[in-house]
Amino acid sequence: MRLRLFAFLLVLSASALFAQTSKVPDAAQFVGPPGGVPVTGSALDTRTAEVAGLLRCPVCQGLSVADSPSEMAVNMKGQVRELLGRGYTQEQILRYFELSYGQFVLLKPKFEGVNTLVWILPLLALVIGAVVVVTKMKKLETAPAAPVAKSDEPVDPYVAKVRELLK
Amino acid sequence: MNRTVLFIGVFIAAAVIAVLFLGLGKDPQHIDSPLVGRVAPDFALKAVGTGETIDLQQFRGKPVVINFWATWCGPCWQEHPILVANARSLQPNVQFLGVVFQDQESKILSFLNERGTAYPTLVDEKGKTAIAYGVGGVPETFFLDASGKIVAKYDGPMTPDILQSYVAKTYRQ
Repeated sequence: MRLRLFAFLLVLSASALFAQTSKVPDAAQFVGPPGGVPVTGSALDTRTAEVAGLLRCPVCQGLSVADSPSEMAVNMKGQVRELLGRGYTQEQILRYFELSYGQFVLLKPKFEGVNTLVWILPLLALVIGAVVVVTKMKKLETAPAAPVAKSDEPVDPYVAKVRELLK
Repeated sequence: MNRTVLFIGVFIAAAVIAVLFLGLGKDPQHIDSPLVGRVAPDFALKAVGTGETIDLQQFRGKPVVINFWATWCGPCWQEHPILVANARSLQPNVQFLGVVFQDQESKILSFLNERGTAYPTLVDEKGKTAIAYGVGGVPETFFLDASGKIVAKYDGPMTPDILQSYVAKTYRQ
């Protein structure tokens, strides 16, 4: 019994020592103190899934952190959860990951710089396409009708025979 | 109308060729780190084997090479002897640090016992240090100047030439 107690105390003091001395990079180094209120309970699960869904898993092919089962994504999701629990806002969390990985980590590109093309070009292509189609349709509507053969014009004898047979 | 269509076609083809031309010159695996030019995220982590806590701050005043690696990563095996040999020749003027990426301490210890080492290898609990450094795969190596600023990042296995040219950058800044 004494031995067990001693072992327990030893493990406890060792972990306390580790907790005291070990220090990992903190989001505060990147984005300052939390700007919101801590999220708790079931809301924390929901918010974690939502925010993790906005982040790209760096080791996957087009999967979000929320959807990927990889260890990397699990760690990132854990960090999102921890930061939400500490009161960091969604914007702060996304900014934290962006400062580490760059805009690549954001599944939804920001509307700035070259990225604006990603948003504008599809709309521009749609507008240009619509203009081309409308212009083409208008031209077809206003195009002169095919010339009708005048009755006094000489008729080909073969055509005349066919017309006669059709009567 | 035909001339307009031709013009649009030529414009689209030119744009596609330009994008391909720019893209083909780049390594698709390489992502520029936004951390380059900024002070390296601070950490103090436990060293494999000794259990000693190594604080990044303690190396301020000299260049630091931080290598993220794992035993399950083939290219990491390839670069390990290069890192060790250079650490032996450049230390104490340049400090080398290894940070374990998604691996088990026992496997790392066994690897280091078998292949040798010349610098501390640190345990990264829950990958928080790797995330702060934007590590997406291993090996990835960061080069810090004497003020603690990240001056370069290299993705992939080191060769002696690459390593020495990147270490030289830490002195030039």
